Amino acid sequence: MGKANKSPSPAVAKEGDYSALRELFRPHVESFDYFLDKGLDEMIESIRPMVIRDPNSSNTLKIILEKGHVLSPMRGARPGVLPIYPQECRQARISYHGEFKVEVCFQYNEGAQIRHTFNFGHLPIMLMSKLCHLRGADPHKLVFHGEEATEMGGYFICGGMERLVRILVLQKRNYPMGLVRNSFLKRGAGYTDKAVVIRCVQRDQSSVTIKLYYILNGSARLGFWLGGREFLLPVGIVLKALIDASDREIFTSLTCCYSDKHGRGKGVVSTQLIGERAQIVLDEVRNLSILTRTQCLVHIGQYFRSVMEGFENDDYITVAEAVLKDYIFVHLENNHDKFNLLIFMLQKLYALVDQTASPDNPDALQYQEALLPGHLFTVFLKDRLQEWLRKSKRLILEEAAKNKGFDLGNALEIRKFLTKYTTSVGRAVESMIKVGNVNSRSGLDLPQREGMTIHAERLNFHRYISHFRSVHRGSAFAKMRTTSVRKLLPESWGFLCPVHTPDGEPCGLLNHMTSTCRVSSFYNSEGVIKNFGEMKKLLSAELVRVGMNPVLPKIEQTGPPEVLHVHLDGCILGTIASAMIEKAVNYLRTLKLLAHSGIPEDLEVGYVPPSFNGAFPGLYLFTNPARFVRPVRNLFILSDGKQSIELIGPFEQAFMEIRCPDGGDGGRQEPFPATHEEIHPTAILSVVANLTPWSDHNQSPRNMYQCQMAKQTMGFCGQALKFRTDVKAFHLQTPQTPIVRTGTYTKYCMDEFPSGTNAIVAVLSYTGYDMEDAMILNKSAVERGMFRGHIYQTECIDLSTKSRDNVPETFAKSILTRDTSNVIDSDGLPRLGQAVHPNEQYYSVHNSLTNVIRPVKLKGTEPAFIDYVAVNGTGSKCGLQKANIRLRRVRNPIIGDKFSSRHGQKGVCSQLWPDIDMPFSANTGMRPDLIINPHAFPSRMTIAMLLESMAAKAGSLHGKFIDATPFANSLKKDKDSDKPNSIVDELGPMLASYGFNYHGNEVLYSGVFGTEMDCEIFIGPVYYQRLRHMVSDKFQVRTTGRIDQITRQPIGGRKHGGGIRFGEMERDALLAHGSSYLLHDRLHSCSDYHIADVCSFCGSLLTATMIKSDTQKKVKHEMLGLPTVRPAKNFACQACKTSKGMETVAMPYVFRYLAAELAAMNIKLELRLSNKSGLPLS
Amino acid sequence: MDRPSGTSYQRFPRVRIRELKDDYAKFELRDTDASMANALRRVMIAEVPTVAIDLVEIEVNSSVLNDEFIAHRLGLIPLTSAAAMQMRFSRDCDACDGDGSCEYCSVEFHLSVHATDSDQTLEVTSNDLRSMDPKVCPVDQARAYQHALGGTDPFGANASNENRGILIVKLRRGQELRLRAIARKGIGKDHAKWSPAATVTFMYEPDIRINEELMETLTVEERISLIESSPTKVFELDSANQVNLFSLVVVKNAEAYTYDDEVIKHAEAIGKPGLVEITAKEDSFVFTVETTGAITAYELIMNAITVLRQKLDAVRLQDDDGDLGELGAHLGGP
Repeated sequence: MGKANKSPSPAVAKEGDYSALRELFRPHVESFDYFLDKGLDEMIESIRPMVIRDPNSSNTLKIILEKGHVLSPMRGARPGVLPIYPQECRQARISYHGEFKVEVCFQYNEGAQIRHTFNFGHLPIMLMSKLCHLRGADPHKLVFHGEEATEMGGYFICGGMERLVRILVLQKRNYPMGLVRNSFLKRGAGYTDKAVVIRCVQRDQSSVTIKLYYILNGSARLGFWLGGREFLLPVGIVLKALIDASDREIFTSLTCCYSDKHGRGKGVVSTQLIGERAQIVLDEVRNLSILTRTQCLVHIGQYFRSVMEGFENDDYITVAEAVLKDYIFVHLENNHDKFNLLIFMLQKLYALVDQTASPDNPDALQYQEALLPGHLFTVFLKDRLQEWLRKSKRLILEEAAKNKGFDLGNALEIRKFLTKYTTSVGRAVESMIKVGNVNSRSGLDLPQREGMTIHAERLNFHRYISHFRSVHRGSAFAKMRTTSVRKLLPESWGFLCPVHTPDGEPCGLLNHMTSTCRVSSFYNSEGVIKNFGEMKKLLSAELVRVGMNPVLPKIEQTGPPEVLHVHLDGCILGTIASAMIEKAVNYLRTLKLLAHSGIPEDLEVGYVPPSFNGAFPGLYLFTNPARFVRPVRNLFILSDGKQSIELIGPFEQAFMEIRCPDGGDGGRQEPFPATHEEIHPTAILSVVANLTPWSDHNQSPRNMYQCQMAKQTMGFCGQALKFRTDVKAFHLQTPQTPIVRTGTYTKYCMDEFPSGTNAIVAVLSYTGYDMEDAMILNKSAVERGMFRGHIYQTECIDLSTKSRDNVPETFAKSILTRDTSNVIDSDGLPRLGQAVHPNEQYYSVHNSLTNVIRPVKLKGTEPAFIDYVAVNGTGSKCGLQKANIRLRRVRNPIIGDKFSSRHGQKGVCSQLWPDIDMPFSANTGMRPDLIINPHAFPSRMTIAMLLESMAAKAGSLHGKFIDATPFANSLKKDKDSDKPNSIVDELGPMLASYGFNYHGNEVLYSGVFGTEMDCEIFIGPVYYQRLRHMVSDKFQVRTTGRIDQITRQPIGGRKHGGGIRFGEMERDALLAHGSSYLLHDRLHSCSDYHIADVCSFCGSLLTATMIKSDTQKKVKHEMLGLPTVRPAKNFACQACKTSKGMETVAMPYVFRYLAAELAAMNIKLELRLSNKSGLPLS
Repeated sequence: MDRPSGTSYQRFPRVRIRELKDDYAKFELRDTDASMANALRRVMIAEVPTVAIDLVEIEVNSSVLNDEFIAHRLGLIPLTSAAAMQMRFSRDCDACDGDGSCEYCSVEFHLSVHATDSDQTLEVTSNDLRSMDPKVCPVDQARAYQHALGGTDPFGANASNENRGILIVKLRRGQELRLRAIARKGIGKDHAKWSPAATVTFMYEPDIRINEELMETLTVEERISLIESSPTKVFELDSANQVNLFSLVVVKNAEAYTYDDEVIKHAEAIGKPGLVEITAKEDSFVFTVETTGAITAYELIMNAITVLRQKLDAVRLQDDDGDLGELGAHLGGP
């Protein structure tokens, strides 16, 4: 409202305040920015050039993809005309996408490269990303373009729909995990359930998962997926193929981690068995009579040449090298690094088998990371481009096989073939965003292929934010019987909200990031793309300074517990003596905090200390993106006082000592050696969970329910409602800001999107209409506007696609219409502000072929107002074909609507009670807006709701908002200060000072009798939300109506005017009551009552045939126009050839249907008829 | 309460007005029951007729608020309804067919505002409503009119001269609102907009007795804490009146008592039950009336009594018809 005024509106004045909101959406936007800035180029670079060999000659053609360009969304087909804005895309139900071009090089027979730019269609552009026109726009500009002043972006617009990529949980990249899984046993004979698994991610974000299985004989197999099946290689061959190492070298590097002087002490990971196992690994290779590296490569090459694409004509060694490059530890480029990592993994595997190291829990957040939109985009686009190359190659080869004169050097011809499928790339990406399905042959090492994107519903702001903060575990887990994945593990402390997860089916699988949780990205805090190579150099230099021995091509001689390995993003940098490691860790943490050290601020220093049979020790450093990180306060570094906020990840958190500011020791015996401190305890809660006032005083499930209900409230879904074209939008007419609110409320500008009303709530049992969670609303309060709402429904009518038989249809109004109502304007579209009643025409369509004007009637049972009509696309010659009509439906509170407080206390309005009959306070004369039953409290223990009521009362008397941030008292360091500790002791005196009862009670008088109530009533304002579940959408009533064609029973379904099923359990209840008449009435008379003619001779009810009545008489009647007298029906049995035994029997029609069905199976159903005396008829 | 048979139940309620302003009144009602007092309260809230906008025909609305919202807001604007008692209900009016174009039952309003070339948002308020009947207009306009006439502002001298009216909607440049509205007579029972009462409440007059003997056993501190135990200022120390060098605890303002029993509980807590005894007088009420401005508080009370009497008359008429014959026989006993 008035946002676009020149006068500085408050929203403009505090522009920077939206930064907290923007921060929540950063993982989405930043990851897409990376794709645009760097990911696209890196991805295209990593695509292997396609070589096509002419089958007719020895000519070759090499196709190299060189550089990609994505353009900003533009209007129209021709590029560079005018920018198109997201609002226009939503309105017109088109996509917000930009052109995508790639420079492609052709090289014919090692000749000169010919560069040509191909257009690959359009790529959806994420809103607020670097290519979005709204990037960096101030609220003024955003409002000007029909967006919210707070617009945060992070989603795509595809076909007018707002879709966002769901953040999925993936295995932590580049970290070898020890796993015990029964499914490993199925790999073959001799396989055990133990393996070390590493998900290797290369620079373009595509990943290959490598599994190192333990074999019963002591050896190991390296497995990876290629072309839809898993290939298993003996580990010895891979070790030898990687570098030129002698058996001796391999043996010593494997066994170096064992030394008998330690026994089974702390941090020992190896047993003496390792020597034998190393021997077995080497023997396996020797038994294949492979001795040298070349032989290994040839062996691998033979094995893989048929499956590796594009290497059909290469020699074995080239193939093997390609396999090692593309599939074995793709995150590393150097074979020495790969070798070292494989050795380390073997050691870890043996430690896992010998139970000197515990298996890692794949469900713990410690070993997980996030799949970000930009990364998915990059990976999927790479796959599509490769697919395009493959398809084009096939096309060219087919043509070459057919046409002997085909010349690969003919650039024009080649280009023709290449352009054939180019647009399919853009289309595939767009459909991936639109539908959420990743269609790829390889699966792209993703956990699921469906449901990658979700619709960003703007039902209300809570729901909208939650979509972008949600983290899903993967749809595969939803079907699993086991519940271990759903468990709330301590590892997710501070990263995933323990409260904000839905109950029911997706419980524990769909989590939400806490309000402070971030995701590490390619950008550092200054917005510059990180240089990982530089970082690695710097880090290793710093590590060497604090005592690390860099790993040399030479073989190391020791292992844990004397020295520990130092990993950086899955690459072994060297070893460091265990004695010095603590110092090194502290040093790294110091560097992290220094602004210009070159060490990234989100570096994860995962120091796994040596333990007795615990996690495999080592120093694991991570700089990669897509890790969850969160800020905590570092207690050590307080030199300049400010720089003490450190970003930590879930991996390192498990081994860190972080205390809460209240100074509690968590029940430890020894003093708490805290190195870090939580900034605020509410950091463990998500944005929505943080909005519950004093949630620390509620029983925990109630807070979960509130998180659910907050997302269903009818509130302000957006201030740009006028420009929105959501299929359905809910809107509260007169929302209010809560008097009692948490710090989060102001931080995230929730006042821009309020979702409820401060209602005066009395807790008493009055009239009985408030039992069982029903609530009584004050009729006058409702009439004054409390909880009034609207539903906005937008209908997009596109006649160009709808038209049947390709007959052009346009909007038009008939001149000859007899319709007296003037809803339809002269253009065939409805008038603004007009009320339309059900079954009334509201727009009309002209069919140009038949020249008939077809009016369209309003469906449903509710009247609606025409809120907005927009015409899309004027350029077409066909005339008016595409329009959006927004209907507005008034939804005032009525009996049966659902309301809830912010404490999981939902209820249904059971009466709109007259104001004069409501209890009133003698002092203030106030009548409550809402009455709830006191029984809502004892079992649910939502103390915070009571506190809220008191606080809001005190706050409204005092004229200020009350801060209800949970866990506020745990920030107080001085426990025994004279300030009162309980909230009641703070609020009580406030109330008393205004002449109210200390505990919030008031003496009320019965509105009906005017007498004082025996009990004092607890009354005060509570912020109530109206939920979107309304009776108007749900009530179902039917007397008569449509019936099913086959069974003649009433149909089901509210939409079609059907009834509610009277099921078996309902039947049982009536049977148990012995209410036979009602039973008969419900199940027979009101259902498929049927009178059948049955032949009492043969007992068949299917053989009855009508004896033809006098047809002549009928015709005569018809000719004279006389009313046809229905002749008495005369039936005869077809089988018995007589009408003598015909009787009429009342039965359900389905019974007759059953008889017919049985007859179709050659089963005769026979009825034995008898009269009431029990004697057979006739 | 058993009374000897034959005594008359008839009582003669007395009313004493304590304070009377245009929109506020405080009066005592004595010698009657809670049923009478409550009936009066209920009638004041729900059955005293006023005039409020009931039908809105919107010609142009390009504001940010939708038509129903504006119509609802218009309905809630209090209109001067001094003449409401004499008006007809639209449904009973035989001079018109209920379309509101008749002088007996309805008043027409017009509103036409167009934000032209102003950079400021234009506020459409109740002052922009143009009434066809000078007797019925938004209360702010009436107040401004009286002010302009040189009469004293009935709502107190400190009321701001700047009469801003009740905000209906804000218009941006280019937006327009044009409508015709019809105000009708109605009662609060039908819709809260017709209720003339902002608040009507009554309380039983408390009867506070301090046990002076017990009180003498209290120290000064105890007395102060007793006084302070009541959140409202009911008691005070009378320093002018001292017994044994201790100031007496006296009732300062009995009506401030909210029947919250805090003082009694406090007396029990310090081991002096019966120190203070408070009972409600069953037949004595203190009313507080606030109006929305549609009619004055005085009119509200008087109209309420009229309405109440009319209702009772209706019952009596029925009695004459003999409808109550059976009931009367029943009440009369065998």
